[in-house]
Amino acid sequence: MTEQNIIQLRQIEKRFGKVVAVSKFDLDLRAGEFFSLLGPSGCGKTTALRMIAGFQEPTSGKIIIDGQDMDGIPANQRPTNMVFQSYAIFPHLNVGNNVAYGLRGKGISKAEIDTRVAQALEMVELGGLQSRGATELSGGQRQRVALARSLIMRPKVLLLDEPLSALDKKLREQMQFELRHLQQELGITFVMVTHDQYEAMTMSDRIGVMFEGRLVQVDAPPTLYAKPCNNEVASFIGEMNFFPAEVKAEHAESLTITTPCFGTMEIERNPNVATGGRAIEVGIRPEQLEISALEPEGYDATTQGTVRNVAFYGENVHYHVEVDGVKKPIAASVPNYFHTVDYRQGDTVWLGVQSASVIDLGQDQSKS
Amino acid sequence: MVNFKSEASRGIALSGPATLYVGLLVAAPLAILVAYSLWTQTYVSVDRTVTLANYREAFTDPLVRYLMIRSVLIAGAVTLFTVALAYPIAYFIALKARRKTLWLLLITIPFWSSYLLRVFAWKLILGFNGVLNSALLSIGVIDTPLTFLLYNEFAVVLTLAHAWAPFAILPIYVSLQKIDLSLLEAATDLGNSAVQRFLRVTLPLTIPGIIAACLIIFIPTVGDYVTPSLVGGSDGKMIANLIQVQFGAANNWPLGATLSLLAMMSVGFVAIVFVLAASGLGRRIR
Ligand SMILES: Nc1ncnc2c1ncn2[C@@H]1O[C@H](COP(=O)(O)OP(=O)(O)O)[C@@H](O)[C@H]1O
Ligand SMILES: [Mg+2]
Repeated sequence: MTEQNIIQLRQIEKRFGKVVAVSKFDLDLRAGEFFSLLGPSGCGKTTALRMIAGFQEPTSGKIIIDGQDMDGIPANQRPTNMVFQSYAIFPHLNVGNNVAYGLRGKGISKAEIDTRVAQALEMVELGGLQSRGATELSGGQRQRVALARSLIMRPKVLLLDEPLSALDKKLREQMQFELRHLQQELGITFVMVTHDQYEAMTMSDRIGVMFEGRLVQVDAPPTLYAKPCNNEVASFIGEMNFFPAEVKAEHAESLTITTPCFGTMEIERNPNVATGGRAIEVGIRPEQLEISALEPEGYDATTQGTVRNVAFYGENVHYHVEVDGVKKPIAASVPNYFHTVDYRQGDTVWLGVQSASVIDLGQDQSKS
Repeated sequence: MVNFKSEASRGIALSGPATLYVGLLVAAPLAILVAYSLWTQTYVSVDRTVTLANYREAFTDPLVRYLMIRSVLIAGAVTLFTVALAYPIAYFIALKARRKTLWLLLITIPFWSSYLLRVFAWKLILGFNGVLNSALLSIGVIDTPLTFLLYNEFAVVLTLAHAWAPFAILPIYVSLQKIDLSLLEAATDLGNSAVQRFLRVTLPLTIPGIIAACLIIFIPTVGDYVTPSLVGGSDGKMIANLIQVQFGAANNWPLGATLSLLAMMSVGFVAIVFVLAASGLGRRIR
């Protein structure tokens, strides 16, 4: 790769007694990208981030930041800065002094500090709030102060631990947008930890999905959504209907499979999964299923079932359809174009799918 | 609907005991003290004409001034010494120790014996034939017993500091315990060394605890009378010893009352100046 990788993690491992918080972690982060570590709570995201920041020593493995091995380099000398989950605003200092904190005592002139503080506050849209007390800030303002305080240090990498989790929904969505915008403007590498898949998808260039200390898949959001590497990732990101399938024939780019309800189809091979053998699992996103009263035309596969449940989400409606031979009802989501709910519980409906929408998820874990 | 009448009576009922308590045990004795300070002692009885004669006497008597200043200085030294020792201990327990409860329990051990016993213990340790002198003699460090150990200010400060240490450790411990650890990490993250971080975050955030510790020690020690009379000798006497004499041997209650009030006022004055100075200092740290 010609582009310099700003952070290289090589076989990082962190154990707390018997608990393995992070294991066999290999990751390269590109300079200037917005990277998210996504995973359920307790999977080791914070631990991974804290090892990069230098607050925790890896049990084994190597961390290289900007070409320099971080072994033995304490947190206060690393070219990273962190936005803490709790924001960690110094309660005894006002906004201006909080933001100036890292610049003081370094022989930088007072005039320059003042200018940089003003710029940093301007950048996070808190211009002129220098003398506001730390305890007189709203959640969103605290977050912005924490951001300004880190960015004023001009770090090579900004680390953010669940930066938006303490904010309410509206503010969170606004901050997602602003953070992304700020990152693109500054060109600094952002590494964000989150358990919120939507947050990760809307903001990131690439996402690393973690489960139980392992990094399972690293990809851009659309790839992650379209080609998850296994059942775990597929069910964590978005919604997915899972079906067992039997491989009838393997081709270079595709597989011929049969499923209990949709019959025989030829689907694309998923480059992210290992060859799965004969018993594999496939997935279909709810929005890729067509639902209609009569058998839909022009679809590669169709099946008939009974509506078990209707969930109204506003922008779309989810129908859960029970189909013979499939254990769980199949979810089909329909955009709410006409503000109507077309099918009721107990209705007989048809489902249709294109084989391009059927995702190969590799070996069926439930059968091995 | 809110019943104002019953609410008012409930308020009175709730605050009643406290009002009675404060009135009976604080305000009334203080009023009696003020009254006595304005009267004068004749040979056998008290002359109840109101006069400032006692205050005049107190302010002009060099012994009073000397003892007052000395009391404040000794109490100040005790405070400084105790808090300086208490801070690292509290720091260790709050931020480093694994078994906090055990350590806190150990710290309260001195309270398991009476204060008088502890003072006598110090007499045994510091005395002419005491533990310290015998030990030093037997290992040959000295050939005559040290006499500067007991019956002076040093002994008073040492004994008081030992007695008051837990009272200094606890408030400082609480204020350290309350510090969000991510604040310390944030300081490190922003480039601080451990020392810078202590001076810029930990110390300012524990100033309330330090102020509390100082007041808790300073206020009672200024008026302490047991310790100086037992280990202070003639050099270690404090204002409370003089006050005690007025109410006892000298039989001059009005002057005793005046001295008590003056002692209270100087303590209050020093305490207020101290609190203002300390919190002002805290605000200047950035
Ligand atoms: N300081 C620690 N001591 C012991 N166990 C820890 C410590 N920090 C984290 N862990 C454990 O490591 C695992 C991962 O934690 P964490 O990195 O905080 O997860 P996440 O941020 O993904 O929720 C958890 O099982 C947690 O209990
Ligand atoms: Mg976490």
